Amino acid sequence: MFDGLDISGSGISVHRRWMDAVSDNIANINTVSSTDGEAFKERMVVAQAVDYGSGEGGVRIAGAEFGSGEGRLVYEPDHPLADSEGYVRYPDIDLGDQMTQLIMAQRGYQANLASLERATTAYQAALQLGKG
Amino acid sequence: MTSPIGGISLPTLPGIGALGGPSGVGSVVPAPAPGSADGFAAALTGALDQLGSLQSSKDQLAVQAATGDLRDVHDYMIAAQEASVATEMVVTIKNKAVEAFTEIMRMPV
Repeated sequence: MFDGLDISGSGISVHRRWMDAVSDNIANINTVSSTDGEAFKERMVVAQAVDYGSGEGGVRIAGAEFGSGEGRLVYEPDHPLADSEGYVRYPDIDLGDQMTQLIMAQRGYQANLASLERATTAYQAALQLGKG
Repeated sequence: MTSPIGGISLPTLPGIGALGGPSGVGSVVPAPAPGSADGFAAALTGALDQLGSLQSSKDQLAVQAATGDLRDVHDYMIAAQEASVATEMVVTIKNKAVEAFTEIMRMPV
């Protein structure tokens, strides 16, 4: 009955998951690993449309993709994890890119909230027909 | 001025003809087309059922929120909003039905 609300809700869920992924990436941006291990892999969510014609619209998380585990080698000979040549592995995550994604996720979340609010207002306006 | 009123033809209301005697009252009930007769009752029952399920899913999420198991804040808020709009709708339908009933009861016999 309230498809508009459920569809907006699915969009909000996806954008929240996206924000979670970005937060995870930013939280681990300085996570160092030794050169014989893998660096922290960037988290990316994959969104998938739920076909509108099937009766249920909206979007869902199809899964997660991971970036390269190769990272970038940084010369830090004082680091406890440094190898014999003094290198450690940092995750290959760009903070600027993550910030851009964070803004996109936040704006998407807000846009879905706005459409949710409009749908509610529309339903309530329709209810006014039965009053008075 | 009065001619339009006189123009109303009773045959458009066949149900009234059936009200001839007490036995006719029973025949009034099945008189309207079955589809339109269930229409309102079915709509009301369907809305009530839907309201029940919306309320219970809202309650479930409220428990999750209270116990800290809620993953998405908006899920609860949307469920609460849906339940509230559905309640409002069912109450409006109910009010309309009661209004129609009292209107008929007020009819001078």
